[in-house]
Amino acid sequence: MSAVEMIQLKPGDYKTDLKPVWCPGCGDYGVLNALYRSLAKLQIEPWNTVIMSGIGCSSRLPGYVDTYGFNSVHGRALTLATGVKSARPELTVITVGGDGDGMAIGGNHFIHSCRRNMDITYILMHNEIYGLTKGQVAPTTPTGDKTKSTFYGNPEAALDPCELAISTGATWVGRGFSGDMKTLVPLMTEAISHHGFSFLNVMSPCVTFRGDDQFKVMKEKLQNVPEDHDVTSRRAAIYYTREQGVITQGVLYNTQQPSLTDRILELREQTLGDKTPPTTDEIFQAFYPQF
Amino acid sequence: MPTGDLVLAMFGSGGDGVVTMGEMMAQAGAKDGLDVMRVEAYGPQIRGGESSCTVRLSSQPIYTQGDQVEVVVVFNWQDFLRFKGELVVAQDAVVLYEESDTTPLEDVGLSLGEDARWIPVPFIALAKEAAGTTLAKNIVTLGILSEAFGVPQALIEKAITHKFSKKKAAVLEANLKGYKAGIEWGVGIKDRVADYYLEYEPGEPRLLMSGNEASAVGALHAGCRFFAGYPITPSSEVLHFLSEWMPKVGGSIIQTEDELAAMGAIIGGSFAGVKSMTATSGPGLALMTEMLGLASMAEIPVVIIDVQRGGPSTGLPTKSEQSDLWQALWGSHGDAPRVVLAPADVEDCFHATVAAFNIAEESQMPVIVLSDQFIAQRRETMSPLTLRHKVVDRVRPTDEELAEGNYQRYAYTESGISPMTWPGIKNGQYQTNGLEHTEDGRPTSMHLVHEKMNQKRYEKLRDVRSRYSYVRKYGAEKADVGILCWGSCKGPVKEAVLRAEAKGHKVSAFVPQVLYPFPQAEFEEYLKTVKNVVVVEISYSAQFYKYLKTFLDMPKDTFVFKRSGGKNLTVSEVEEKIERVLELSAVRKEVLV
Ligand SMILES: Cc1ncc(C[n+]2csc(CCOP(=O)(O)OP(=O)(O)O)c2C)c(N)n1
Ligand code: SF4
Ligand SMILES: [Mg+2]
Repeated sequence: MSAVEMIQLKPGDYKTDLKPVWCPGCGDYGVLNALYRSLAKLQIEPWNTVIMSGIGCSSRLPGYVDTYGFNSVHGRALTLATGVKSARPELTVITVGGDGDGMAIGGNHFIHSCRRNMDITYILMHNEIYGLTKGQVAPTTPTGDKTKSTFYGNPEAALDPCELAISTGATWVGRGFSGDMKTLVPLMTEAISHHGFSFLNVMSPCVTFRGDDQFKVMKEKLQNVPEDHDVTSRRAAIYYTREQGVITQGVLYNTQQPSLTDRILELREQTLGDKTPPTTDEIFQAFYPQF
Repeated sequence: MPTGDLVLAMFGSGGDGVVTMGEMMAQAGAKDGLDVMRVEAYGPQIRGGESSCTVRLSSQPIYTQGDQVEVVVVFNWQDFLRFKGELVVAQDAVVLYEESDTTPLEDVGLSLGEDARWIPVPFIALAKEAAGTTLAKNIVTLGILSEAFGVPQALIEKAITHKFSKKKAAVLEANLKGYKAGIEWGVGIKDRVADYYLEYEPGEPRLLMSGNEASAVGALHAGCRFFAGYPITPSSEVLHFLSEWMPKVGGSIIQTEDELAAMGAIIGGSFAGVKSMTATSGPGLALMTEMLGLASMAEIPVVIIDVQRGGPSTGLPTKSEQSDLWQALWGSHGDAPRVVLAPADVEDCFHATVAAFNIAEESQMPVIVLSDQFIAQRRETMSPLTLRHKVVDRVRPTDEELAEGNYQRYAYTESGISPMTWPGIKNGQYQTNGLEHTEDGRPTSMHLVHEKMNQKRYEKLRDVRSRYSYVRKYGAEKADVGILCWGSCKGPVKEAVLRAEAKGHKVSAFVPQVLYPFPQAEFEEYLKTVKNVVVVEISYSAQFYKYLKTFLDMPKDTFVFKRSGGKNLTVSEVEEKIERVLELSAVRKEVLV
């Protein structure tokens, strides 16, 4: 498409005709809206974009965006995204999902996706609970909180997804809040534009199973990352992941490291380049005795 | 009288170079146009444990590794003993054993006939003396074997030169000296073993490859351009081969963090429009099962190679078995149609893998290629001429189908196959899921839609059944004994049938390549042509027989020969069963009369 023909895509152009199933007041609406706006801001071509998810309330999101989308199975969204990006490095690949999906059942894939640093954006909807299965404890639920599956309160420690991302190799890590669009849209836009694995942790309240006031509770804890924060410092970034009693939003970490996506392309260039690929008969030649 | 078909087996520890020696013989044979099969066996140790290598060289077409070993090379009796019960030695065999191993011969568990030739050989001393290192034992042995048994001498020398050409000149020289010393020593026993001297007319060089390599090349031929895998014996060679070749053809390959990720990745790759495959073994397939259901539900074409190995869990990782059959056929949550193919030999690994991609693309579903260690890791000669195979590519929906409001990813059609787009195709965007969905991919949990969609997804199998019913039949048109088997059992069964026929018996065999959808009509037709049915399989719980019973009225007196893996099926085992059934049926007839 030439520049002249280019039609400006508006946020609404990314909508499908499917109505979200989310409860009224769910934080995930904010994430979806921010995504429409970010895609429009970047004029991302819907037909060259894939949105992957696992299972959970949040994982329903791909159904609402008119790109190629796949609501796959619990915890495995990043594995599918890795496949898409490996096979078609030129596509824009976004993965979305819940904190149970990504940090519990999908935890291993998260670590290795960060480490590989493929050019994928991962947006986590962090509500400190399992929403879809109606309110069990998640790896992000604060210690002591009562949930459906922790009758006497959560006996376990919570993990911080941003801390995990930074320490395992993600090259862009940010935190936002679904109730603060002004901060969230630029963050998401930056995450999608980042070259390498970008991880955006969005605090996204579950009003049904974390209480009506989760919005208020989160909002009260919200603070912006200080302006002088050095985003290239891993140590400084980690500092803003675990502070007690506050939620720091903004870009926590941003560096450039070699991405697996680049390596795949480089390797192809080295081994194939402009040559015609070998035919099957030529490949078979390797199996004749070589003397 | 010399022979045209020779089976040699060598036993030693990891450092003895037994496998290298076997490989050089196999390559020399292939180069000279012989039919070759090379089978390795290892203990579970990673390094240094016992290993054995069997090589069969023949001027005639061969289908198995050879039942009876005719020439046995033993570097160490202890290592030999670890393979006890796994192979049969000919009564008149030639046994070449290390002279300095003082194990009393009555303790080695080999009771051979009077014609057997027990020949102590100073392998170690010869290697030290001629090459200056005991490491050259295997090369010395190659000299002996080439001189006394006609293993192509000039070519072995070339193979040695090729192997050591990258090393220092002195290393090559030492090895060549060792080789010459072996030849000289071999002259001394030549007359005693003349009946096992291999005589043949040299022919055109042959391809020599393993089933895993054939599968990998098949995948590339079929247009596979993305592979994701996690190492597991005995499938890893597929990963290894493609790690070199996939980039060369412009594709991508990754080793994932586990089999869950491998399966997810290939579903992603294929969803993105690129033919994608993984390879694993039973434990890995278990981990992939949830996403196998996803691929089935979301109708994404993928190919999974399962190289079966022995036993559950870690089981017998280096040995073969046919016990993943049910897992491959039925392993799933929900109703998840898939196609299961079973290659029967090395060359067939190529064909079955290409067919798997074609079927996957045509029917938009997962296809499992059920290989096993026996065919996947042995090396066998093949003729390049038969390696032609058409390739089916994914069909891009027409502009009309994609016009505003027309495109329905899961539209109901007569064949059950719906138009499928992939990223990059404008107006082809769709959002899919593992949830039940309507024709346009929208989630629903309505019973009626679920029923209809299940029907649609299963309907696709009808097309597969009508187009891919490849079965192999051997032996008599009308037979007294008919054998049903699958996969790697084909080789020994085919050879047993040919031998039985040569003896004047009426015996036949039937081997399906497509296991599911079940080739019902072909089986039924076949059963009409046999009097007594024998099922042969390497699965303790007789998975194949029970599978057959779900679709066929198997005769009550079906004779089931099943056993555990860990030892490859031999021709004589099958022959023995044929004889027994022939005897029994004779008795039965008498009673009837
Ligand atoms: C293999 C498997 N195990 C369990 C489930 C049930 N399950 C579905 S969603 C979910 C948790 C969802 O929580 P989260 O990922 O935090 O998403 P949210 O609903 O909170 O957005 C669970 C346990 C499943 N679908 N698949
Ligand atoms: S249950 Fe919670 S997470 Fe799920 S839709 Fe309702 S509010 Fe949102
Ligand atoms: Mg959650």
